[in-house]
Amino acid sequence: MARLSLIVLITIIPFISTLCSSFSPENPTDRRILVLLDDLALQSSHSLYFSSLQSRGYALDFKLADDSKIGLQRYGQYLYDGLILFCPSIDRFGGSIDSAAIVDFVDSGHDLIIAVDNSASERIREIATECGVDFDDAPVLFQGMGHSLNPANSLVLKALSASSSAYSANPKTKLSNPPSLTGSAISLVSVVQARNNARVLIAGSLSMFSNRFFRSGVQKAGSSIKHAKSGNEQFLTELSKWVFHERGHLKAVNVRHHKVGETDEPAMYRINDDLEYAVEIYEWSGKSWEPYVANDVQVQFYMMSPYVLKTLSTDQKGLYFTAFKVPDVYGVFQFKVEYQQLGYTSLSLSKQIPVRPFRHNEYERFLTAAFPYYGASFSMMAGFFIFTFAYLYNK
Amino acid sequence: MARKLGFLVLLLCLTSICESAAIQPISDAHRSATLELVAPVDGSFASLEEAYEALRTFEILGIGKELNVRASTCSSVVDKLGSSSSLKDLFFALRANVLFKCEINEQVFLEIALRLKASVNDANSLLDFYYAIGSLRLIKDQTSEVDVFLADADGIFRSIKALSQSDGRWRYGPNNPVSSTYAAGIALETLAGVISLATSEIDQSLIGTLSNDIVKLFDGIEKYDDGAYYFDEKLVDAREHQGPLSATSSVVRGLTAFAAATSGSLNLPGNKIFGLAKFFLGIGIPGNAKDLYNQLDALACLESNRVSIPLILSLPATVLSLTEKDQLKVRVSTVLGSTAPPLSVKLTQAFSSDSKDASIIESQELKFDPEVDAHVLDALPKIVDVGNYVFVFETVLHDQEHKKVYATGGRTKVPIYVTGVIEVDNAEIAVLDSDLGSIETRKKLDLVGNNAISLSANHLQKLRLSIRLTTPLKHSFEPHQAFLKLIHETKVEHIFVLGNSGKQFEIILDFLGLVEKFSYLSGTYDIQLTVGDAVMENSFLRELGHIELDLPEPPEKATRPPPRPVDAYLRYGPKAEITHIFRAPEKRPPQELSLAFLGLVLVPLLGFLVGFSGGLSTYTFLISLTAFASRNEPEELPYINGPCHICDLVPSWHCGSSLTLCAFLVEVGSIRNVESTRFLGNLLDVCRAQNPFSPCFNLGQVEIILRKRENAFVRTMFGTRKHINEIWWAGLLDSVL
Repeated sequence: MARLSLIVLITIIPFISTLCSSFSPENPTDRRILVLLDDLALQSSHSLYFSSLQSRGYALDFKLADDSKIGLQRYGQYLYDGLILFCPSIDRFGGSIDSAAIVDFVDSGHDLIIAVDNSASERIREIATECGVDFDDAPVLFQGMGHSLNPANSLVLKALSASSSAYSANPKTKLSNPPSLTGSAISLVSVVQARNNARVLIAGSLSMFSNRFFRSGVQKAGSSIKHAKSGNEQFLTELSKWVFHERGHLKAVNVRHHKVGETDEPAMYRINDDLEYAVEIYEWSGKSWEPYVANDVQVQFYMMSPYVLKTLSTDQKGLYFTAFKVPDVYGVFQFKVEYQQLGYTSLSLSKQIPVRPFRHNEYERFLTAAFPYYGASFSMMAGFFIFTFAYLYNK
Repeated sequence: MARKLGFLVLLLCLTSICESAAIQPISDAHRSATLELVAPVDGSFASLEEAYEALRTFEILGIGKELNVRASTCSSVVDKLGSSSSLKDLFFALRANVLFKCEINEQVFLEIALRLKASVNDANSLLDFYYAIGSLRLIKDQTSEVDVFLADADGIFRSIKALSQSDGRWRYGPNNPVSSTYAAGIALETLAGVISLATSEIDQSLIGTLSNDIVKLFDGIEKYDDGAYYFDEKLVDAREHQGPLSATSSVVRGLTAFAAATSGSLNLPGNKIFGLAKFFLGIGIPGNAKDLYNQLDALACLESNRVSIPLILSLPATVLSLTEKDQLKVRVSTVLGSTAPPLSVKLTQAFSSDSKDASIIESQELKFDPEVDAHVLDALPKIVDVGNYVFVFETVLHDQEHKKVYATGGRTKVPIYVTGVIEVDNAEIAVLDSDLGSIETRKKLDLVGNNAISLSANHLQKLRLSIRLTTPLKHSFEPHQAFLKLIHETKVEHIFVLGNSGKQFEIILDFLGLVEKFSYLSGTYDIQLTVGDAVMENSFLRELGHIELDLPEPPEKATRPPPRPVDAYLRYGPKAEITHIFRAPEKRPPQELSLAFLGLVLVPLLGFLVGFSGGLSTYTFLISLTAFASRNEPEELPYINGPCHICDLVPSWHCGSSLTLCAFLVEVGSIRNVESTRFLGNLLDVCRAQNPFSPCFNLGQVEIILRKRENAFVRTMFGTRKHINEIWWAGLLDSVL
């Protein structure tokens, strides 16, 4: 294996360097995508899907999965922003790619689409399991394969789940034992959004990406409505937009906070201060950053647990703001925005800010309620003085 | 809605299987897809090559007349032909001109022909020959004025033939050692051109060896399992690499051109030609314009070739409903969908796909129905019930002469799905006593209506559900999916498969054996029955009602019921707001009260001063007043004695001041237990004692002072510092006094 990768290093020819603008935080849509295929004929039979990607500006690099020249990175730099694995039966990737390399690729924030069919190989299963998806062994009544989601993995979600009457079994053999997967527990297409916002799409069917499935008409059993085209194209196009960060990518900028009536950000707040907090959130539309409109963005004033959790008001133009009073507890607090919305990248902002108690001279000086005491003591002093004076000099 | 969806998946699966099993000739699906794929950008095509391919595709399909690209293409054709462009550009410009019929000057053709002839003589690479000879042929087709015939056709033929390899493939040039199938197709097309451009007859032995080369080329053909044949390009790394589609299409083009140019017959088996057609049709609709052109152009060549014309047998529907009495229809046409010569279709065999042994029917001939343009089997044989079958058809040409011209591909196996409405009856559910098997409760199930049943059982009883399913031909039917699902209130599901017991489907659940599985969870279980199969038209999922199960208490070591799955979507969405609860501000007396008591506290000083100056009368009055105010133990006051009337004044002033302070504290609520402050009356004692903690200090006083300190301590914990100050003030005052 080591020798193999060495050969790859030597023989690798300079490629993909003249491609258009690449992935960056300012422009989160992927640009360069490596497509690994079992058979180059897929390029033609699934061309509608690929051309919809190409028409949206992606540079697709088609390679056979066992091509010895493929590699995801060179000199520590990733050559691609996204990876499409349309090679369900591959046993061993060519070049320097293996399942660990693919998992590393995702770990470093890159996106992945996996499609399998009935012949999902161990290698592909391994990658899917890393993402929290287990393929059921038997094929189901779907041109492909259902899978179950690992309940312990909260990052993986069903994008397309089977209906309540579905079950996962081999249609050619008689059922004697209850099927292990039934109903909506069967996931047909799953998506994963990792904590670093890398996105993975795992589909149980490779054919659902094919031109034939894109174009074939659908009629529900028992219904007279005939759809001229299946929903595959729309569904998968929208999903690919999501996976490659054309949609649902948020950024937060301009986080600021200050005391009411001031504009400068203080280094520290005092307990019971009134403060204002504002943040601007934008959504990537594929071309530009548009204001993000929602009404459920919340800020926390946090020290070990949230002391204040408040929903931010918005001006519908991307600005989210609120005002609240600093709690009467001092310590090192954080402003935290933990925004998790289905389908969007998660926003996680935190800003540390200490809160101090009153200084000794910031308390009230004279209390009206204590006036009787003051009166009593001072009257005593005065009386004693008069008494002493009288006692000494009287007579 | 949801339950329909399951069957939708099923249907999709069925249709896709049908598509893959039987190939269809080119149809309207191709036409609509072509308009999508091969649309010109802004009214023109990127190159003349693309323009030609698009127009050729449209021409084959008979569409695209509304596309107005002639003007833009013609201007570029004229442009290319006028200038001294490369052979390739000339070739494609002439090719496009065949379709667009632009207005070209004869003189232009003449000049080009002279140039081409010169280049044919100089050429040594295959592509140069191809473009030059192809161009000459195109000129010959477009004008008769220009002399395009080749004098030394034999010589040119030989120099092209010199590039051929022993396995029938060709090299691109004398210096290029790689042999290619795609090049073979090009070479055949070029040689066919040479033959048609020759002034004298080509040497027959040359044509004979070429025919042998073609046969050799066909020996290297690849085959798919379903009988489709194709040519594959072996060299993968070469820059001129062509996929199987373009390689096969190139060979087909060359082969048909060669067959058209020569009179002799090529000794090629009809099934290989049929297999090639199957390959092209099996691709379906290719994804790009180039592939589409290759596919359709090759099919158009096959449609009217001299070797053998493939006839395609296709079925409009492979899913037949017994209930709807669907007819079995078979259509035979050429690859592009035009009508076949007179022929008859026979259904020779039919067998169930489960048991692939004997045929279940006799050979039957289908009747041709000119109205639907298909061969129809009036009614399915009586023995065919719902299920999956494989039907074998055979096409027989009526005319003996046609048998040489057409390739029918022999027998065609087609999977047929016969569906029907399954009759569901005798559905009943019963609770049985475990020991005796006697029936406790028995309920008929109405699977049409929505009346829910309710049952109850304990762990010593059994539940029996039975159902009878019969096919339209009154046979008992065994669906693939027959599940009974019990769903507990906590959403824990248990699935059981119904078994076949002779005539009916039934399941007996012995709850005693299931308590472990049910995790000793008593309570209401919803009963759900799912019966479904690919061939069952009325598959259903029905909520039957519920059963109240009374299971024993779990023993010590029983497994816990599985935890309820957490809804992953709960993570999303806003959380409940949290507001900080601030400490309540301390209670303070109103300002007026404090000021009033300040006045009162100052009154004794005033009294002292008055007494001081006014003498004993006021003093006595004050004493009695204070005695009255202190309510208790006024008798202590007379104990006051002393020689100095000034000295006597001090305690009474002091006592008055303290009492006022005490009253203030009581008023503002700082001292709640008034009883315990009674000692203030004893202030005089305190006053007399030099040391507050001396032995003469009585116990009650110590206790009160301690109590006050304790009070202060408690307030340090919870109250504000200001309050503590007050208390300390009070305590201090007291101890001082």
